[in-house]
Amino acid sequence: MSPAAAVAWEFRQRHRWGFIALIVYLAVLATIKLVVVTRGLQINFDSPESFAFVVVMPITATFTYFLAVFTFGLDGDLAARQSMYPPRMFTRPMTTAALAGLPMLYGTAAMMILWLAMRLFALWPTGIAVPSVWPAFLLASLLAWTQALTWMPYPLAGLRIVVAVLWLGTMDTIGLLALHFSAHESLMIAILAPQVPLAYIVARFAVERARRGDVPDWSGAFARLAWTGRVSSRRRAHFPSPARAQAWLEWRQYGRSLPGWVGILLPFELILLWAGGDSTALVFTILFVVLLTPPFMASFAAAGVSKSSLNSGDSYGVTPFTATRPLTDADLVAAKLKMAIWSTIAAWLLVLIAIPLGLELSGTSAVLLNRLGRLSEVVGTPRTVVVVLLILAGCIASTWKQLVQGLYIGLTGRASLIKGSVFLIMGFFFLFGPFAEWIIDSHRLGELWSALPLIFAILVGFKMIAAAWIIVRLYQSHLVSDRTLVTVAACWSLAVFALYAVLVWLLGTPHIPHYLMMLVAILAIPLARLSAAPLALAWNRHR
Amino acid sequence: MSEPVIDVSGLTRRFGDKTALDSVSMSMPRGAVYGLVGANGAGKTTLIKHILGLLRAESGSVRVFGLDPVTDPVTVLSRIGYLSEENDLPPWMRIDELIRYTRAFYPAWDDPYAEELRQAFGLDSDAKIKSLSKGQKARAGLLTALAHQPELLVLDEPSSGLDPIVRRDILGAVIRTIADEGRTVLFSSHLLEEVEQVADHVTMIDHGKIVLSAPLDAIRESHRVDGRVPSLDEIFVARVGKSAKSPGV
Repeated sequence: MSPAAAVAWEFRQRHRWGFIALIVYLAVLATIKLVVVTRGLQINFDSPESFAFVVVMPITATFTYFLAVFTFGLDGDLAARQSMYPPRMFTRPMTTAALAGLPMLYGTAAMMILWLAMRLFALWPTGIAVPSVWPAFLLASLLAWTQALTWMPYPLAGLRIVVAVLWLGTMDTIGLLALHFSAHESLMIAILAPQVPLAYIVARFAVERARRGDVPDWSGAFARLAWTGRVSSRRRAHFPSPARAQAWLEWRQYGRSLPGWVGILLPFELILLWAGGDSTALVFTILFVVLLTPPFMASFAAAGVSKSSLNSGDSYGVTPFTATRPLTDADLVAAKLKMAIWSTIAAWLLVLIAIPLGLELSGTSAVLLNRLGRLSEVVGTPRTVVVVLLILAGCIASTWKQLVQGLYIGLTGRASLIKGSVFLIMGFFFLFGPFAEWIIDSHRLGELWSALPLIFAILVGFKMIAAAWIIVRLYQSHLVSDRTLVTVAACWSLAVFALYAVLVWLLGTPHIPHYLMMLVAILAIPLARLSAAPLALAWNRHR
Repeated sequence: MSEPVIDVSGLTRRFGDKTALDSVSMSMPRGAVYGLVGANGAGKTTLIKHILGLLRAESGSVRVFGLDPVTDPVTVLSRIGYLSEENDLPPWMRIDELIRYTRAFYPAWDDPYAEELRQAFGLDSDAKIKSLSKGQKARAGLLTALAHQPELLVLDEPSSGLDPIVRRDILGAVIRTIADEGRTVLFSSHLLEEVEQVADHVTMIDHGKIVLSAPLDAIRESHRVDGRVPSLDEIFVARVGKSAKSPGV
């Protein structure tokens, strides 16, 4: 077997199930299209959601999957200074050109084949002009540049993310503009075709540096800052308790990623306010996106938070360093929960500082104040204040919940459970769109509204049965003290009643029965999944 | 007679079809230096993981200081110093942060002793773990295992892949630990000549079973051939070495 064939074999062997799934999907698409075409039928989607479900989402998912596969992104640490190119390959008797070129060749070829197959087999709506060739070049260019940027060693931690987001975002924008303005194939090919060779030159340089262990370091430029940090850390007294020390470790390990991500994205979102002008809809859309940024990014940061292992590339199990801490499983989980609170607060402090600054500097604050004033006239000032506070509190609570709700799965350390849960969630989202569309199209919203209390009651029943089972297991295994169990139950009940009271006061209308609000409050306040986290960790830590 | 520090009774553990530990029983008195020897995959690390509470006994029982390490991890682990073969210290931590973090868990942490060890091992407070050599990482791990003056020191293959100078530091730590009365060491190693230097009791484990467990002097005497006392290496090969010349090598 030649080196080129060996590299190809490694990709194929390692990701064979993903590739098989893709081939099956394409075969199904081809069969459907064959049936449609032979019968002389036209392809029409009755809504953009259907088109997105059948075509756009699978393409996007496959594209993302290919990015992860061919950049070796499934193995490395995106935020690290070191190259993400696997060091094990550096010792192979291959030239640097081959090390950089072969994965790029296979990746770009796979991307182009993917596009051509989708162009051929996907159910494109009749009457829509879909470009033939240039999207293949765009996908290949995006992959090649992603490879170059991820394999490059960087002088600062986290710089790779910033550079990649900016560069790939720019290329993505070019593609969207080309679609919007129906750019000529030849023009787009002229722009995109040189991108792969250019990316190859950069990738080769990156692999060459990584191969000789050359990782630039600009930390010297921040020496004074680092010195200040060291002095302040030395000034700090010893940790008052093991729990505080563990929470510090969790913060240093995972806590800073969410505020970091939010800090990177906020300027790009708020800069759009300058384009908003007096358009109320646009300003509110931007603010809506900004408010959703922390909970949305928290769902990504949660993957790290819910890991039981300190080493990012390690397996899912608890490493001896963590497992031999003289702390109970509940204390280890509590440290993660505390870190999630700090991380949420830090992210939201950024948002709460950036929003007024952005509104003020862009001159769009009047738009917001005007709308709030109108709302105040209609529902009164106290209700307006409560609504705003509730929205904020809801977003903040949702951010924290996103960070910690996967702990009960991640801390089990069982790869099959963790991967299975990801597939389940993805499956749910894939089915949710068509289901919602079916409900709307078949005019069943009224029936759904009538059935809502029953649905909520069933969900509450499941939640309470699960919570009861978990609490019994916690009590029997002595993982949590009796006092903690009682405190958690009391706090949860208090939170449920507080939310219920606010909902009754805010939405006091005969159309919404009070018991429905109680069901909503019970479902909204987390209990079962959080309580299961110590059980999950114990199952992992003491196998 | 005082209660044993470690008391393992009829411990069996299976991973799928493979039996990693088969009815293992051992009792380790206070103040002893126990050498645990065996080939790769013999079950040494599995036994140590049970002692640390990282594995739950499927059958049989494990008691450390008279307690179950799974149900009472805080009490048990706070009295143990542990150095693992897989050095998994957080790579982003600086040495001073590692010391600050670790001392929080041990009320008996001895700051002057920790500083003495740091200087003796040549560890720079500002150095990050990831920038250290393998030997320096082992020294950093040893510092955190020793500085709280543990009642029980557990060393799982601590010398594996290290140079003679680091191995000397580890042996020195064992000797220093046992110099304090009432402290106990469980030392698993491939390097039998090291075990021979410090252990006063040796347990040989093979395919999950204890094939020999006795005081070192008694083992030597019982294997004496024509007046010559064989080395531990030779005894191991005689007992276990169906194929291996030397364990783990």
